[in-house]
Amino acid sequence: MRRLLLAVISLILLGVFLLWRIDSPRVERFRAQITDRIVPNMEWAMAPVTGTVNLFRDFQSYQRLTVQNQELRSELRKMQTWKEAALQLEQENARLLDLNKVRLDPRLTYITGVVLADSGSPFRQSVLLNVGARDGIVDGWATVDGIGLVGRISGVGKNTARVILVTDTSSRIPAVIQPSGQRAIIAGDNSAAPPVDFLENPDLVRPGDRVISSGDGGVFPAGVLIGQIAADPGGRLRVRLAADFERLEFLRVLRHHGSEQVSQDASVILEEGTAPIIPLASAPVSE
Amino acid sequence: MMDELSPLRLWTMRAAFLVLTVVLLFFHLLPIETQPVAFLAPELTPPLVSIDPAEARLRSLLDQGSDRFWVAPDLLIAFAFAWSVRKPDYVPALLLATAFLLNDFLLQRPPGLWALLALIACENLKLRGRTLRDSTFGAEWLAASAWLVVIMLANRIVLTLLMVPPPQWTLSLIELGVTALFYPVVVFVTHTLMGVRKSTPGDLDRLGGR
Repeated sequence: MRRLLLAVISLILLGVFLLWRIDSPRVERFRAQITDRIVPNMEWAMAPVTGTVNLFRDFQSYQRLTVQNQELRSELRKMQTWKEAALQLEQENARLLDLNKVRLDPRLTYITGVVLADSGSPFRQSVLLNVGARDGIVDGWATVDGIGLVGRISGVGKNTARVILVTDTSSRIPAVIQPSGQRAIIAGDNSAAPPVDFLENPDLVRPGDRVISSGDGGVFPAGVLIGQIAADPGGRLRVRLAADFERLEFLRVLRHHGSEQVSQDASVILEEGTAPIIPLASAPVSE
Repeated sequence: MMDELSPLRLWTMRAAFLVLTVVLLFFHLLPIETQPVAFLAPELTPPLVSIDPAEARLRSLLDQGSDRFWVAPDLLIAFAFAWSVRKPDYVPALLLATAFLLNDFLLQRPPGLWALLALIACENLKLRGRTLRDSTFGAEWLAASAWLVVIMLANRIVLTLLMVPPPQWTLSLIELGVTALFYPVVVFVTHTLMGVRKSTPGDLDRLGGR
């Protein structure tokens, strides 16, 4: 009897695994639902425990509080001058945009979520947010921490959504390296600085170049800062990430409904009546 | 003290194992480890200070000095082993399978595989429990560690065969080592705090046989 039961249980476990291997999306949806059921129930206990743990971890930084405070003040003073410069630039930029009649994408807004849980193991890098399908979250949207890209949504439950961080081994983000305009893929490898893959011409890329998302392939928005180029001792190009992964607490999920594609030829423009005679290559795209 | 073998005690301890699973999961899922393990991070060149001093200063200010150096042991499997050797009745196969499968789902592992392997290991330890009970702790520790190695290797082999990228070698080995090192602690806790002890030759089992 016990043998039989054991055999049945083993077969079920094996079946679950094979089902996952064959039809991964379905099982992953099921995983998202399970997570959605269980983890929010733990929230009431998780918040105070996390707070306490962080309090103890902060203990060492309390010791250098005064020094840090002074540094922050001087930093703030420098920032004031930068702010003035930025304001002037913003006005100038607005005037130029107005002259050019550029329409910025008005649909790029964001939803802020609180980090409920992390992946729970050192092998995976992901976090669970307390916003989900109920809040209109869609798989594939970008998540930022205010400075840089943190990851993309993968797995949405009713009340929760999982963010696969750019450092995770399964994360692949299409990116552009500025100013050279080279396209590449930022492929996570479970280290703090993901390597740059599929780069056409590495000679054009210098350390310190900015890496931004290219928005290739649908729902991922373009122009989100990922980080700066650096190299590891082996000479491989890596990205020094702009986002601060040390303590993720609040994340912004960027709403994005796909970028407009120019799929037809110039007739689209000509039919508008204005008939601008411009080469198609430099046709203005609304983003 | 409650009768060691009463049904009430039996079911209380089964429930206790489920609670233990949830508590361990809870501490795994606390959102305090959101960065990769620091010792796997490559040293980046050139240093940020030489390209962008302002950014470097800002980062050092924002740095909270809590790099992740710690790979947590897999306590669930250690407890499952310890309980399986001591009191197989407290951890029936169905309970173990449920606990492991829940872990697989919530900890982002390929669901089912790890659970299956861990279950096989536990069942084997239960079978060998009678002999392990009579021998020293060293033998038990060795058996548990051996099973940890077997599970890890089998897991990797199956994943590789099915073209699923297996977990990183270094991390797997570190986790394995830490879990094996923590096994005596787990056994100590099991024995003293939870009162799950090896049955002595005088005890009768539930059905009244020897």
